[in-house]
Amino acid sequence: MADSRRILIGAAPEERARFEALVEQHGSPLLLFDSAILRQQYQALTKALPGTDLYYAVKSHPNEHIIRELDALGAGFDVASAGEMDMLMDLQISGWRTIHTHPIKKDQEIRDALRFGATTFVVDNIDELKKLTPYRSRVGILLRVSFRSDQAVVDLSRKFGCDPDEVPAITHAANALGLHVKGLSFHVGSQCGNADKHVEAIDRCHTIMQQLNRRCSAPMGSLDIGGGFPADYAMAGFDIEAFCAPIRQALAKLPDDWHILAEPGRFLIAPAVTSVTTITGKSIRHGIRWYYLDDGVYGSFSGQIFDHAQYPLQVLTDGPRRLSILAGPTCDSIDVVAEGVELPELETGDLVIGYQMGAYTAATRTRFNLLPDAQFIHLPETSAEEIR
Amino acid sequence: MKYFKETLYDSICQEFRIDKLYFEHKTDFQHLIVFHNAQLGRVMTLDGVVQTTEADEFIYHEMMVHVPLFAHGSAKRVLIIGGGDGGMLREVLKHPIEHVTQVEIDQTVVDMAKEYLPNHSAGSYDDPRLNLVIADGMDYVRESNGQFDVIISDSTDPIGPGEILFSENFYAAAKRRLSEGGVMATQNGVPFFQPDELRTTWQRMAPYFEDLCFYCAPVPTYYGGFMAFAWGSDNTCLRGINLQVLQGRFAESGIATRYYNPGIHSASFALPQYMVDALNEAN
Repeated sequence: MADSRRILIGAAPEERARFEALVEQHGSPLLLFDSAILRQQYQALTKALPGTDLYYAVKSHPNEHIIRELDALGAGFDVASAGEMDMLMDLQISGWRTIHTHPIKKDQEIRDALRFGATTFVVDNIDELKKLTPYRSRVGILLRVSFRSDQAVVDLSRKFGCDPDEVPAITHAANALGLHVKGLSFHVGSQCGNADKHVEAIDRCHTIMQQLNRRCSAPMGSLDIGGGFPADYAMAGFDIEAFCAPIRQALAKLPDDWHILAEPGRFLIAPAVTSVTTITGKSIRHGIRWYYLDDGVYGSFSGQIFDHAQYPLQVLTDGPRRLSILAGPTCDSIDVVAEGVELPELETGDLVIGYQMGAYTAATRTRFNLLPDAQFIHLPETSAEEIR
Repeated sequence: MKYFKETLYDSICQEFRIDKLYFEHKTDFQHLIVFHNAQLGRVMTLDGVVQTTEADEFIYHEMMVHVPLFAHGSAKRVLIIGGGDGGMLREVLKHPIEHVTQVEIDQTVVDMAKEYLPNHSAGSYDDPRLNLVIADGMDYVRESNGQFDVIISDSTDPIGPGEILFSENFYAAAKRRLSEGGVMATQNGVPFFQPDELRTTWQRMAPYFEDLCFYCAPVPTYYGGFMAFAWGSDNTCLRGINLQVLQGRFAESGIATRYYNPGIHSASFALPQYMVDALNEAN
């Protein structure tokens, strides 16, 4: 496996002592949540996309500490299942601050969503529209359009979304069923390198909506620009302001009375969570150092499989570098966190730190080997300051 | 939470200031809140939708009870399905009936209402004429063999715990619990915003009654104009009962009301044209 991730070698004594103290206190493995970083990210994106209502993609990390923090910031929530709505309901977050974005739903899920109070639904075909017909007096529909992206790491336009050319026919079918399509939604894919696809999609949706609105008595006025705002896995100092500048320009061309929505997940939460794992054993095979960690790709590093992410790693000591492999704790040979990396000699009990570990990490972990989940630690504000 | 924002519709909503939160309860997929609002008194909401408020509950309860009971004229046995807040029971017990059975699915709703909405039941849960049954309303009408002169279905909305009370099977089974010439009344939503509900109820209920129609009353916090109530009976004369007869019964009862009177009773069966049109589409 070609491993091009960022590896940080060594740490200041205080930094190392802090991680060791956290493991001493809570055990290992850990996921450390720094709410101050989440707030920074939320405020940065709010500033980069003024006038856009942000709906946190709950799927990226459905954790009550994270949801509470975003609730306090006034965020909305993008939900895709009854379980996610249940979590919000437990936290007393009203359904009116949510949109239901899964394009394919069972009838029971629609009913659960309405009882929860989510009235915005995303669909991408006429069969799905028909499922909403019994609830037509209560719901508003966003029609998901597919714009394929060559650049996105994860292409979300293959599985969901209608062709732009189908929009008029589906909209007319909706009207005939007594349903109101209030706007369009798209998702250009995850971890976009630049905003070109966002801009292209916004421009095309703008044109489609304007054409339909000229002929339609129930105009469309909502545009959901999805997510795709990247996490800084390279830790190279990603500039969200610059990334969003072309999106802002594209949005500025839209009528002032349109509602603009976005569904960020990764950008908001990835940098706010740091993982701590411990080396539980080591061996040398074929001249290569193998280190076995207490968390791996079936656990917090599941995003390396499902999300194609490579998280920056840090070891806390320095010394002569040797070709090494960091493996996870399960019995499966696929459970390798990093391969072909040059590391100093490490010892059992040493810590390995993972950065940008907030999005699609714990969310997709498995129960394989019945290993315990990494413990989620909401860092107190002051100690979070120190770690940064 | 300082405001309650209703989530009944996607593009419009009513919002209430919460002046004091009395009660909040979440079980499985059910979320119940009771709070105080300066304008409306105590307000109870379920799953983001207003169920009842102290300020305007009298319109709903008087119309669901007094219209069928005064029209019937000699009802002795009454069945209430749902109605856990006790408002329906309170109004029923103002009539000289012999017996009322109330079937509520959840004892905790009754207990909660007694404590947090005490003015709704106003002590009527202690009346000796009451037989309170904690059971599923559907199971009760299907399995019991009681006969009732008036059946009142005081359900929640069709999406949620009360959905079976809008099913054809329920109407069919309830009809079998109705004594000869009896009347069944059900709440049927606000047709201005929910015309489908009116049509669906017509289609599901009409096969079981010689006479099926709707009457209506505006309940301010069920906003959108008139709320509709379905009326089902095999006695086709009951809905058009003579106004003077009603006036006589009303005067004789000595019941004090705030919305209901015989004039309102008669007039409530006249439907606005948009409801007539919606029903014509259902035929």
